[in-house]
Amino acid sequence: MSSSTAAPPSLSPGETAAKRKRTFLWAAWLLVLPALGIRMFTTIYPILETFRISLYNIKLLSGVNEFVGLSNYLEVFKDRKVITSVEFTVIFTAVSMAFHLLLGIALAMILNMKYKGQRFLRTIVLLPWAMPTVVIGMAAKWAFNNDYGLINDFIRRFGVDFQLDWLINTGTARSAVIMTDLWKDLPYFAILVLSGLQFISDDLYEAATIDGAGAIRSFFSITLPLIKKNVLTLTIFFTMWRLTSYDLVYAMTSGGPGEDTALIAYRIATESFTNLNLGYGATLAIVLFIVMAILSGVNSRLISKIDY
Amino acid sequence: MNLSNTARERLLVCWRWVLTAVVSFVILFPLLWIFVSSITPSHELFRSPINYIPEHPTLENYAYLFRNVGLGSKVWSTVVIVFSTIIISTVVCLMAAYAFVRYRSRGLTLAFAFLLASMLIPDVVTARPLYDFMRGVNLFDTYTGLVILYISAVIPFTTIILRNNLSSIPPSIDEAAAIDGATTFQAIVHITIPLVRPAMATVCIINFITCLNNFFTPLFYANSIQVLSTAITTLPLRDNMYAVPWDLVSAMGWIIILPIIIFVAIFEKQIMGGIMSGAIKA
Repeated sequence: MSSSTAAPPSLSPGETAAKRKRTFLWAAWLLVLPALGIRMFTTIYPILETFRISLYNIKLLSGVNEFVGLSNYLEVFKDRKVITSVEFTVIFTAVSMAFHLLLGIALAMILNMKYKGQRFLRTIVLLPWAMPTVVIGMAAKWAFNNDYGLINDFIRRFGVDFQLDWLINTGTARSAVIMTDLWKDLPYFAILVLSGLQFISDDLYEAATIDGAGAIRSFFSITLPLIKKNVLTLTIFFTMWRLTSYDLVYAMTSGGPGEDTALIAYRIATESFTNLNLGYGATLAIVLFIVMAILSGVNSRLISKIDY
Repeated sequence: MNLSNTARERLLVCWRWVLTAVVSFVILFPLLWIFVSSITPSHELFRSPINYIPEHPTLENYAYLFRNVGLGSKVWSTVVIVFSTIIISTVVCLMAAYAFVRYRSRGLTLAFAFLLASMLIPDVVTARPLYDFMRGVNLFDTYTGLVILYISAVIPFTTIILRNNLSSIPPSIDEAAAIDGATTFQAIVHITIPLVRPAMATVCIINFITCLNNFFTPLFYANSIQVLSTAITTLPLRDNMYAVPWDLVSAMGWIIILPIIIFVAIFEKQIMGGIMSGAIKA
């Protein structure tokens, strides 16, 4: 962020201006205040409060809040529901991201093709991103229905008698959630990969072709190294979004069957709002927050380390 | 590899269109299915195999939504919230972006870093205390409260994009205006803002989509005020015994999807540009 924050290089003509700027710094803060204020109020205060209540055992009905120190945190490791949630969150994130990388880069290359259909395809690819996840989740809930769903109907058109109620069994419900997530977010990933891909000059590929490199060789020697950094950053961001995904599971499975598709964000909201275990819900939230902070730390380290 | 050049060229063209067809099918077919379901009367809907051309197409589902579910008021509250958010957030973030570009101090740099970092704080982490707070100050389930939270959600992205654009405008333009006797305010209104107008348009377009898709905020911080995204999850089951009121959900879904399709088709360029210009890489 330093590049454009740096002072304008020409100092001599603007020296008086610089002085004026220092005197009017209060004006700058006045301009920043509304945005900063709203943002701080909706993030810093609630996080501190979440941390505080994570140390308590809060009983809403009796109104007695008992200080329990870190014992909520110890509870996390023994809670079957949380372990299931963490397990699915890890599976969901890992599998989804693997496909994001594989198919996302492939789709980005399709979007980068220079031909008449380019604009059409780019418009289409924006659609899943532009739609509310809940709508997609609600539709997916029905699409994976055994009798009347879109998916099974499609499979049956190939002449197989296919019977499967996706959302009833753990494995298939989890796969269905991941597939829906991919439908919704993979195009967005591809668009962001495309933004890196666009700047690779055609000359490079032509030169490679002249040197006798095939398409696969060009991909691994030119394309991949040049988009590596971009893709890595994207991967970390998308991983973090998967870890906090809420809407999809809310609309599609409500965490079921049992608790098997309850992603960690869903688990937290259930504890805090449905089960009214405020202290425990806050504990889980803080753990998630710490994981996010670590990931973004890793992200900024990686960005500064990797260079072309 | 003994194909002639033209034959290879043709194969390549073919291959491109095959890929286009596959991608379009995967994305568009489910949307078509939602539309077809929405105009299929219930007694035809629960049938297997799916009939993609309904025998008696009907708009009954839509009529039901307007008559019995109060769709009109939901559209209205969505419009009120989304447009207030877009207008206020653009003004507020433009002010902040201007300050971040034209003034510097350690504090301001820190403030900007905070805005960036705050993007990564999950909604669910802040939800419960914020919920209690909103209730405490009587902002729960009010338009004011919702708009504040909607604005908060778009502040980081909006500020970053506007700041990046403003920083490409040399300050000498402002100074020239000052020499001509313009006040700072006049310089901003007549010179700076027109120059960032394209960026403002992009930000408004993307924020429109973001706000429309915001589900978490109206779900947790409102009860009686329903926007379209929350309303679709509470549709009544009519005369079918399945867990999903698919007849109504598909109609409601299509009401949400259709404007989005039109919107995206019109603004494809700006959206692409906006997404690529640093939604993430900022």
